[in-house]
Amino acid sequence: MLELRGVRHRYEGRVVLDLEQFTVPRTGTVAVVGHNGSGKSTLLRLLALLEAPTEGQVLLNGTVVPRRPPAALRRRVTLVEQRPILFRGTVLENLEYGLQVRDIGRTAATGIIGDVVGRLGLQPLLSRRRHELSDGEVQRVAVARALVLRTDVLLLDEPASSADRAAAGALYRALSAERAARPFAVCIASHQLEDAYRWADDIRALADGRLSPVTPENLFRVELPPGDGVKSVRVGNIDLVVMTDRAGPAVVAVPPTDIFVSREPLSSSARNVFKGRVTGLAIEHRGAGVHVRADVGGVELVAAVTADATRDLALTPGGPVVFSFKATAVQVF
Amino acid sequence: MDFLAEGFRRAWGLLVAGDSEVYGIALLTLKVAVVATAVSCALGLPLGYFLATRRFWGRRAALTVVNTALAFPTVVVGLLLYGLLSRRGPLGGLGWLYTWQAIVVGDVLLALPIAAALSAAAIQGVDSRIRRTAETLGAGSWRTAWTVAREARYALAAVITAAFGQVVAEIGAAMIVGGNIRGSTRTLTTAVALYTAQGDFGLALALGLVLLMLALVVNIALQMLQGRGHA
Repeated sequence: MLELRGVRHRYEGRVVLDLEQFTVPRTGTVAVVGHNGSGKSTLLRLLALLEAPTEGQVLLNGTVVPRRPPAALRRRVTLVEQRPILFRGTVLENLEYGLQVRDIGRTAATGIIGDVVGRLGLQPLLSRRRHELSDGEVQRVAVARALVLRTDVLLLDEPASSADRAAAGALYRALSAERAARPFAVCIASHQLEDAYRWADDIRALADGRLSPVTPENLFRVELPPGDGVKSVRVGNIDLVVMTDRAGPAVVAVPPTDIFVSREPLSSSARNVFKGRVTGLAIEHRGAGVHVRADVGGVELVAAVTADATRDLALTPGGPVVFSFKATAVQVF
Repeated sequence: MDFLAEGFRRAWGLLVAGDSEVYGIALLTLKVAVVATAVSCALGLPLGYFLATRRFWGRRAALTVVNTALAFPTVVVGLLLYGLLSRRGPLGGLGWLYTWQAIVVGDVLLALPIAAALSAAAIQGVDSRIRRTAETLGAGSWRTAWTVAREARYALAAVITAAFGQVVAEIGAAMIVGGNIRGSTRTLTTAVALYTAQGDFGLALALGLVLLMLALVVNIALQMLQGRGHA
């Protein structure tokens, strides 16, 4: 288990990460979502033991990690950066790098590499060099280079940002296959919500370097009933009306920008209308926007509105509010 | 023009005849240059890596000192070293004054800032992700440094070439602490200066040509080493 405790990290005096506690469990996949600049990459660099937090501690299986961790400790965690880079040499030499560092014998290394290469379909690339690869291929090779190390924790920063849909699917399937063969922890930072939510067991949101109580996208794990078209799904004490042909377990998301905020129910085409109470107002976009959090029937939703709208509606914490959105606005992953 | 042509004829004759003095001086120069380059790079490249990659109090000042030392006058280095190595100096006990070792020390002092400053710049030019990637793949400090250095190999080869160029062409310190003693500490540069002053233009020219060829051969060798790698 990898844990950050009481971490406050600064760059040039500015606090970029402020987390009371953040845990990556021993097994399972954690997705960290958030906008650019929310602190996702910094979080991953701290978890990867590449940087020491300005304040606070990093713990690996309950033991405090020293500020300059020895290589043996670092070898239990590995990170694939958002824009990974390959070393000079062939793809195969890149895949061998971490295994050589660990003094893994050639025969064993060949077997390990063969498994991962097969899963990620990298066989045709093995003899190529970095300048002969596309961005998506570099990303796949970088993930493979990390996977062959069989670390306790694998950290992925936007692992499929340069991949097309098919390649991203293959990458996540390979990750799942690897985890089925050997349990290990995965932490994915992403703003490509669909993939992160489809493959993660736990979703955490970061905003301005802090854990946000709700994801900005209003995400919920649901069980979709069979049937086509418009259907109702239970989320907490409310029923969300969604339009999808999918059935079974899924993640639904309501983009905050698609929610209409009012004091009274509106007469409109919106199939989802929920009365509730404002639980919080967070100023965004340098004062121009406001995230309105509201408790609607025991479920917390967040809506994005302009600062002017907040004033016009006289929204205050504890005050009444109505959230409305169309069934077609609900995204299903 | 006759004077120049005569000089070239005599130089060519000395080289073709395998004149022992010319080749003796050339061999000593090569020995001094290779040892001084090796020592200055062995110290300067790790120092450059350290300055480029570590964040510590006084790093900027250290870089400024190293960069300033690039312009250190060779005769001043020779003078200071003379003071240290002379019989009454703190290092007089070594008995190195007027030996080839003294020239090596002088050359190292002059080439070290070149190796450190230029390698620091070369390492700073390497994408920072290379170092982070090596570390996250489990590499220790030495393996990480080696990985980063491999990425900067062209620039580092140029650093070695520059350091060699400095020591092979150096004259001020070599003259002061070497003494330009025939058969002992006479290098190509000090010999060229001496024979030119004595009016033996042909011999001076022959030695000058050897110096040029030496620099050419070493540069070609380094370029061939650079060209062997791929991206």
